[in-house]
Amino acid sequence: MDWSWLPEYLPRFGEGLWLTIQLLFWSILIGMSLAIPIGLVQVTGPRPLAWLARGFTTVIRGTPLLIQLWLIYYGVGSLFPSMPGIRDSFLWPYLREAFPYAVLAFSLSVAGYEGEIMRGAFRGVPKGELEAARAVGMTPFQVLRRVWLPRALQNTFPTLTGEFILTLKATPLAATITVFEVYGIGSIVRQETYKIYEPLLFVAAIYLCLTGVLVLGFRYLENRIPKQTRS
Amino acid sequence: MRSKGYALSSYCCPVRILLHSEALASLTAYGNMTEKPHSNGPSATLEVQDLHKSFGELEVLKGVSMTAREGDVVSIIGSSGSGKSTFLRCINLLEMPTSGSIRLSGEELKFKGSGAKRMAADKKQVTRLRSQLGMVFQSFNLWQHMSVLQNVMEGQVQVLGVPKAEARERAESILQRVGLYEKRDQYPAFLSGGQQQRAAIARAVAMEPKVMLFDEPTSALDPELVGEVLKVIRGLAEEGRTMILVTHEMKFARDVSSEVVYLHEGRVEERGAPGDVFNNPSSERFAAFIQTDH
Repeated sequence: MDWSWLPEYLPRFGEGLWLTIQLLFWSILIGMSLAIPIGLVQVTGPRPLAWLARGFTTVIRGTPLLIQLWLIYYGVGSLFPSMPGIRDSFLWPYLREAFPYAVLAFSLSVAGYEGEIMRGAFRGVPKGELEAARAVGMTPFQVLRRVWLPRALQNTFPTLTGEFILTLKATPLAATITVFEVYGIGSIVRQETYKIYEPLLFVAAIYLCLTGVLVLGFRYLENRIPKQTRS
Repeated sequence: MRSKGYALSSYCCPVRILLHSEALASLTAYGNMTEKPHSNGPSATLEVQDLHKSFGELEVLKGVSMTAREGDVVSIIGSSGSGKSTFLRCINLLEMPTSGSIRLSGEELKFKGSGAKRMAADKKQVTRLRSQLGMVFQSFNLWQHMSVLQNVMEGQVQVLGVPKAEARERAESILQRVGLYEKRDQYPAFLSGGQQQRAAIARAVAMEPKVMLFDEPTSALDPELVGEVLKVIRGLAEEGRTMILVTHEMKFARDVSSEVVYLHEGRVEERGAPGDVFNNPSSERFAAFIQTDH
């Protein structure tokens, strides 16, 4: 094996790694803040919103992420330049980048999958505990914030960790729309050096490390929630 | 210590005096009611008039009225399916009554709509009145993600706006009284049923409610754990707290109650002081009920 190319490309891998981390962070953050209401309305209603949420999760989970990504980048993304005046607006520097489209596509994907998980999680919280919260005089929002949501998240924590790891490993798809994250840099190396295996192995090792960090981070968070059930 | 006297002095009285005239005024509006509960008066802490509740076609409550004055302990008894739990859950609107009125310290709950579409008109009023009606459930319903202490502090901090330090102090003193001070940092899943129910009672007491509602508080407990919970409830009764108690513990109801209400198929079949109704039941059904399995 020949690793002589590595020192030259290491700074670019650093940039790629930073891009991967940003993409994952924003996708989880935006995706989860969509997933919570998407899960909730399917349990509480109102009906039209529940149907809308149901339809959204069905479409997102029923179509390949790669196609969603392309539809958003080549579809939605190509509409903007034809809009009059948009090239002069403050949004243009962002709209012209590929990264925001990747974040959008990944966020919607997280929202779809995790919305479905949150639906089950909300439903799984014992009714009596919610009744007790209402009986003590909490407003519906307080019930959600103090009892329903924390109980739902607590029950799904391990599942969500697994889901986020899957999201991490889907991020190479962003390279197909010119977001040169870790895998994207790896392909550049392959094209420029004609080496096949070494860059791939290096990229795989980076993802393995990232997964490890993610697992440890979430395990730390999980352990900070005190043990509430006998095991 | 601020434990015992605290309840009645600081929370209830100023409100009650303020509402006094309002209560008198609204009572006159009830002059045309055909059926009045016994002992109607301005000092009634909780007053329920002609409560009906239907689940679809099934009418579970067919006009139940009840009055509790300050310090009253009203036991509601009856076989399962008689509507006694539903009645209790209607008082704090965990179930929406189909018709009828509820007033707490003279303040009447406002409704809008009718039948299945009936709902509370003023959501702020509902949460406020609920905070003054401490509910204890058959299955405890402690919040599993909070320690015992947090369970007892939560309502004070979130609903009443009590500062955390003060809420903690009050919670600890109440836990001391129910014998759970040592377990305050435990999570509910690690406690026995009796301990959980005592914690749930502490959670209700911490709100300094005007009326406490007990929904079969010992029915989910192993027989050997019933005693410790009843002891706590008895202590609260002796403190002069106003309580509505749905129970199967006939002997206990007889001991602590100021009034016993026997429900049968959604109607009041017998009511009165325990000494009277247990010794001289006027309803044959009630006579049979207390003779058979209790």
